[in-house]
Amino acid sequence: MNAVGLIFADSYDADLGGLTELRTLAAVSYGARYRLIDFMLSNMANAGIRNIGIITTQKYGSLMWHVRGGSGWDLDRKQSGIRFLPPFATETGRYAYENRLEAMQANLAYLRELKEKYVLFGSCNYAANLDFQAMLDFHEKSGAVVTGLYTKNPVNKKNGSDVTEYVTDENGKILECRIVRDLDHAEKIAANTYIMDREELIRGLEETSKAGKKSFRRDIIPQMAAEGKAMAYEAKERLFFMDDISSYLASNLMLLEPEVRYELLRNPARPIITRVKDSAPTRFGSKAKATNSIIADGAIIDGEVKNSIVFRGARIKKGAVVENSVIMQDTTIGEGAKVNYAILDKKVIIQDSRLLSGYITHPFYAGKGTVI
Amino acid sequence: MLLAGGQGSRLAPLTNHIAKPAVPFGARYRIIDFSLSNCVNSGIDTVGVLTQYQPLELNDYLGTGSPWDLDLRFGGLHILPPYQAKQGGDWFKGTANAIYQNLKFIKQYDPEYVLILSGDHIYKMDYSIMLEEHIANDADCTIAVIDVPLEEASRFGIMSTDDKGRITEFAEKPEHPKSTQASMGVYIFSTDALVKYLEEDEADPDSENDFGKNVIPAMLNDGRRLFAHLFKGYWRDVGTLSSYWAANMDALGEFPELVLNDPGWRIYYRHSFNFPQYLGDSAEVTHSITGAGNGVYGKVEDSVLFNNTIIEEGAVIKDSIVLSDCIIRKGARVEYAILDNDAEICEGVTVCGDKSGDPIVIDKGEKVTEDRKEGGLK
Repeated sequence: MNAVGLIFADSYDADLGGLTELRTLAAVSYGARYRLIDFMLSNMANAGIRNIGIITTQKYGSLMWHVRGGSGWDLDRKQSGIRFLPPFATETGRYAYENRLEAMQANLAYLRELKEKYVLFGSCNYAANLDFQAMLDFHEKSGAVVTGLYTKNPVNKKNGSDVTEYVTDENGKILECRIVRDLDHAEKIAANTYIMDREELIRGLEETSKAGKKSFRRDIIPQMAAEGKAMAYEAKERLFFMDDISSYLASNLMLLEPEVRYELLRNPARPIITRVKDSAPTRFGSKAKATNSIIADGAIIDGEVKNSIVFRGARIKKGAVVENSVIMQDTTIGEGAKVNYAILDKKVIIQDSRLLSGYITHPFYAGKGTVI
Repeated sequence: MLLAGGQGSRLAPLTNHIAKPAVPFGARYRIIDFSLSNCVNSGIDTVGVLTQYQPLELNDYLGTGSPWDLDLRFGGLHILPPYQAKQGGDWFKGTANAIYQNLKFIKQYDPEYVLILSGDHIYKMDYSIMLEEHIANDADCTIAVIDVPLEEASRFGIMSTDDKGRITEFAEKPEHPKSTQASMGVYIFSTDALVKYLEEDEADPDSENDFGKNVIPAMLNDGRRLFAHLFKGYWRDVGTLSSYWAANMDALGEFPELVLNDPGWRIYYRHSFNFPQYLGDSAEVTHSITGAGNGVYGKVEDSVLFNNTIIEEGAVIKDSIVLSDCIIRKGARVEYAILDNDAEICEGVTVCGDKSGDPIVIDKGEKVTEDRKEGGLK
């Protein structure tokens, strides 16, 4: 694929509370073994993209440790590969970027030195298994300068945040970009994922930099649309959003539905890759009872797990009952403890007999390393 | 130097298409992962793997050695197959001959000591402790031994030692064993002694070119310093279907004999692409270990389940080892069996081994449409 990928690791719209207090959005764990960036990285790699820049501003330590040189995605090549693009790394990036536009402006040098004809860029606020090759084919065929990805079914996207709705003609040409708050009355919801001609993007960034523009979505796309150069492309696949902590929980628990699991994780032509951990097998004790759950390797299950996502190395002790929850890596649920509608971050210890419960709309969250 | 060329004929049919070290083990691993992980965990970063029998899958699995962090510019993992040279070439005739044919590889790295292992045992052992002993004893060769019950001793190479651990006598599979210290097939040689005795062994046309039968006795005859290193941890020879089955089962339970998730002694393996496993509403998985990508809707008890297998509702797996990509259909029953990769057990079919003998084995890719019961089971 004749495109370079750009991934925005930070959250500019989503608010995942404690989950993003310690780490950038792209590094948030998902689905028993993944981190959110795995989807964007795998989607790009699966479409044959070989150069990928990852734009970060802060708290990107765990992200770098996760992606490393990109060998998990076969991206650690001599001629191409992953490039982390943090602030203060170049002559032009002398401040922490406030928005995507600034971030790209600061990394103009990176964009200029590449040879690829197109740039595909997006954020990590949703999980999806996307066919970017099809999107690029559409972009090339349409002759547009920029193509924006949209979905008619933004799963678990929250009302109230301002999103862009594309109004298009029958060919997909964007006529208008509307900022909407009520998703029920919007049809084509922009996913903040674009393909753009690289030279045009560079020119646009240089111009907006001079004009003091702040937002790619609000300033550049509407302008391109007004000039008739922007197309909208509908994602054939579903996008599972992580807008806030309850949509994060819902997007995790939806993996318990077989269609979602197969669509997202089990497409043999488009595997979602994550960093390998050499975990031991999952070990089930004599009294274990796990139903309708995803249980990762390295977990030790001696208690009861229902409708939950259990990450690697988590431990559910005897007599413990875990329901409707996301239990992250190396977290321990003590004997006889009961946990319902909870998101327990990494290395949390729930001591014996504790009772914890949130609700689907208001999950209980415990931060990394919390002892309860 | 890891000897991985053995055919493992007693493990057939699991070894019909692959070398014994490449046989899957413990829900995630291959047998060779244990020796390789022992090497890297012991600080050994140069490993030659000697292959001969059915090497294709084993070679693929080893690759550049990256799963064990052995993809190094200096040292690392080297696959050493038999080869043709100007003076002709030959298959590896025996364990000693296999090393002899690769002396050039050893000399290239010019080590002081050479560790010789076989790639077909399940154990976790710190070779650096054994090496320290070897150095402290100023030994020519140190042989790792394990204490076995007297009645089993005649299956092994048996060592008699003096009170300092120096080997006084070695008997390969003796009818009347004089001790219970059995060789684990793990040797440390001082390189000079190794080269000398391998060259002499090669020059002897009557030799079987085997460490246990020829090289060790020759060194003892010459009064060389041979010591036994007593290993007290978990070690299993998985040479037969029953012992392979039993060693797999050792990884089960709350306090398993074979601990696989020891953060201080990781067992590394090559990952195949997969996804997390899902347990359905009707799943009952107890006292078992499982890999990734499985879909379990039936009952799994006292078993080892590898990757990407589907167990449908109402199916029961008990006391069994199920390798990857199998399908167990509704109402099927699998007991005391080993299912090789891609096996399918059709709806309602029972596959049952005889507990007094080896477990029943379903071949790779086999579709079982009729009951198969061994022994006097109901």
